[in-house]
Amino acid sequence: MLTFILRRVAAGIVVLCAISFITYVLLYFSSANIARNILGEFASQDQVAAKEVALGLDQPLMTRFFAWAGHAITGDFGTSWFTAEPVVHALENRLPVTLTLVVVAIVLIAICATLLGMAAAVKRGWIDRVVQTAAVVGDAIPGFVIAIVLVTLFAIQLKLFPATSSIVPGAGADVWIASLALPVIALLINGVTGGAQQIRSAVIKQLEKDYVRTLRSRGISEREILFKHVLRSAAPAGLTVLSLQFIGMLGGVVILEQIFALPGMGALAVQSTTMGDIPLVMGVVLYTVVIVIIVNLLVDLINGWLNPKVRVS
Amino acid sequence: MKFGPKAASVAAIAAMTIALSACGGGGGTPAGPAAAGTTSLTLASLQDLKSFDTSVAHIGHTMPIFQTAYDSLIQRLPDGKLAPMLATKWEYNADNTVLTVSLRTGVTFSDGAKFDAAAAKANLDYFKKAKGSDAYQVASLGSVDVVDDSTIKITLATPDPAFEYYLTQAAGLMGSPKALGTPEMAAAPDGTGPYVMDKASSVVGSQYVFTKREGYWNADLQKFAKVTIKILPDLTARTNALVSGQIDGALLDPKTGKQAEAAGMKLNSSQVDWQGLLLFDRDGKINPELANVKVRQAINFAFDRKTILEQQYLGQGTVTDQVFGPESGAYVEGLENKYNYDPAKAKSLLAEAGYANGFTLKLPSFTGYEAIVAVITQQLGDVGIKVESVPVPNANVVSDFAAGKFAVAPFQLYQGEPWVAINQMISTTALYNPFKATTPELQAMIDAVHNGGTNSAELAKDVNTYVTDNAWFAPLYRLNQMYYTSKAITVTPQLQQAVPSIYNYAPAK
Repeated sequence: MLTFILRRVAAGIVVLCAISFITYVLLYFSSANIARNILGEFASQDQVAAKEVALGLDQPLMTRFFAWAGHAITGDFGTSWFTAEPVVHALENRLPVTLTLVVVAIVLIAICATLLGMAAAVKRGWIDRVVQTAAVVGDAIPGFVIAIVLVTLFAIQLKLFPATSSIVPGAGADVWIASLALPVIALLINGVTGGAQQIRSAVIKQLEKDYVRTLRSRGISEREILFKHVLRSAAPAGLTVLSLQFIGMLGGVVILEQIFALPGMGALAVQSTTMGDIPLVMGVVLYTVVIVIIVNLLVDLINGWLNPKVRVS
Repeated sequence: MKFGPKAASVAAIAAMTIALSACGGGGGTPAGPAAAGTTSLTLASLQDLKSFDTSVAHIGHTMPIFQTAYDSLIQRLPDGKLAPMLATKWEYNADNTVLTVSLRTGVTFSDGAKFDAAAAKANLDYFKKAKGSDAYQVASLGSVDVVDDSTIKITLATPDPAFEYYLTQAAGLMGSPKALGTPEMAAAPDGTGPYVMDKASSVVGSQYVFTKREGYWNADLQKFAKVTIKILPDLTARTNALVSGQIDGALLDPKTGKQAEAAGMKLNSSQVDWQGLLLFDRDGKINPELANVKVRQAINFAFDRKTILEQQYLGQGTVTDQVFGPESGAYVEGLENKYNYDPAKAKSLLAEAGYANGFTLKLPSFTGYEAIVAVITQQLGDVGIKVESVPVPNANVVSDFAAGKFAVAPFQLYQGEPWVAINQMISTTALYNPFKATTPELQAMIDAVHNGGTNSAELAKDVNTYVTDNAWFAPLYRLNQMYYTSKAITVTPQLQQAVPSIYNYAPAK
């Protein structure tokens, strides 16, 4: 088990290095106007040139990359070129918002998708048809449309929730819940049906297996068969979908964060990328990659725990 | 095309949204966090500031955030008139090169430091040295001398008709001399302004909270106990926040404005920007055709300004043929209707110039301008000028213009004071004159404005007439700035400023 984890961590580090380098190269090719953007439209050409030297933008690619990487290894991500805010501080403020949003949404999606998927697989009939249809509809409607409908209905018409976030540092749990409720519901509507669909087909497949018939013939209760045996074997398929959804959401919440004015990573990522704030973009990318690697590792571990065969391979 | 389930469900949801927003008007209770007599003001800003360091302050959307915490030497009233602020009196010498400024006494900064002549000098010197985004405002500043504790003498290297105006803007903001240029000042403002920042409740990029300063010198500028400015770059978020009552004021657009009006919000309209084509290449360096004034005039005749305005901005604006605004002092009524839509005339001008078969123009296209570029392409195409649009990332737009990469560009610029406008787009040092185009005749007119003192706006009419007659630009219209407020507050638009100054708000009576 330990070697399995170590192997995955080592692979993660290689991915991390590769992605940082690729991102840096991509940013390098679009960094022609950064100094001008920082100084503004009225700065003279001399000022712009001086700023480029100060930021090291006049250096060749490899020199710049290794200078950045050398600091990054020690945990020093530098400061934003535009706001002078330390990158780590900027991320510390925003990461909790995005992570809370995505984690809460994914946990709810997991619970609801499992219940719905199993109900559809076991009961079939109308529940199944509803889940199947909802899966198509839920997947088809873009998340931002759901978000806008939710805001219009629950925030503007019924005034049950704030239309835009009021999360600030030190805000109480009530503020967090009120501000995150609508975005979480939007993510849930968008994601639950796809997960339910996966669980449904996996459960149906398991129910057709011989071992289920054997268990039934032994007189074991249907509930025990379903939750102890079938769900365990059907879970990996659902887990894979959930992990993919989680990673997709990390990128997809950008638009939700804008609609709800959530002070999360999304706005930061978009803003810093369009302006060419390289230290900040690199910080956002690294943190995101680390989260993705951790999520993948966790999914592998849970899969291994559920299914001993995975551990052997 | 097949109308599949995806399209059907999107259409259903869209219909639902429209139905929901349509019934928004009927909801009897007025939205708004507070009723009349409110003591708090919450505004949305579509831009965040780079930092609270006075040297990075910038004309436009972020100015009110700076004004909340910093006083400027001179205050600019909503109608553009100048009024005493930290400067109580100011006077030029005969040749407009030395400005003697008397300063208010008994004023202190947030950190307790005293505001005096030495502090004012330190600020002006710092602003010049720091070379921030508005450093052009002190380009003519030679030196600052302390005369006595409450008087400074500002010596200009060359007369600057806009210098007093600049002292109402970024260059005039006064920060504590101890804090100038420190990371502390970048993180939290340290000025003498009507409010002080509540650091614990503020978060960069999200919201800034300010509370009333005790013992402020002018209670008239301090009408609220608390001011919150939320950074909401997204138009949908701004609209939702306003109509749901989370904020009291926000800049919207003609389409979202309808939604705000249905929710009982009040429109405070003013005209700040003109939109149209900047015909940079008057010397024909990229497109030799543009060196011919007839070609530039033909471009002006090719646009059906009224229809474009109607289609693009639901008619929220005024069509115009000149780049100087009515309140600038350099506006010439007689120049309007000079280039009324006349495609036949455009074609004949092109033929006279020797381009009967037209020519090709490369036009940059960027986020927010796609629709207008499409209209321009079509209307110029109608008179025989073929437009090829070149996508440009938004972050590179201004620098690409400044680097002279395009002969012509669609853009929107604010209509400032004449000398500011001339230095923005007409003089040879102007950012939006990348090819440094000029003629001896025009240069003489610009020099006259430069040295014209109080008469400079009047003299700028000649510059305006020259650039309009010679079609330096192809302006289309002045846009209405759609600033909406809740019923809890009132506001007066600020002349030539994207959003109102912080002093212009008051609780509704």
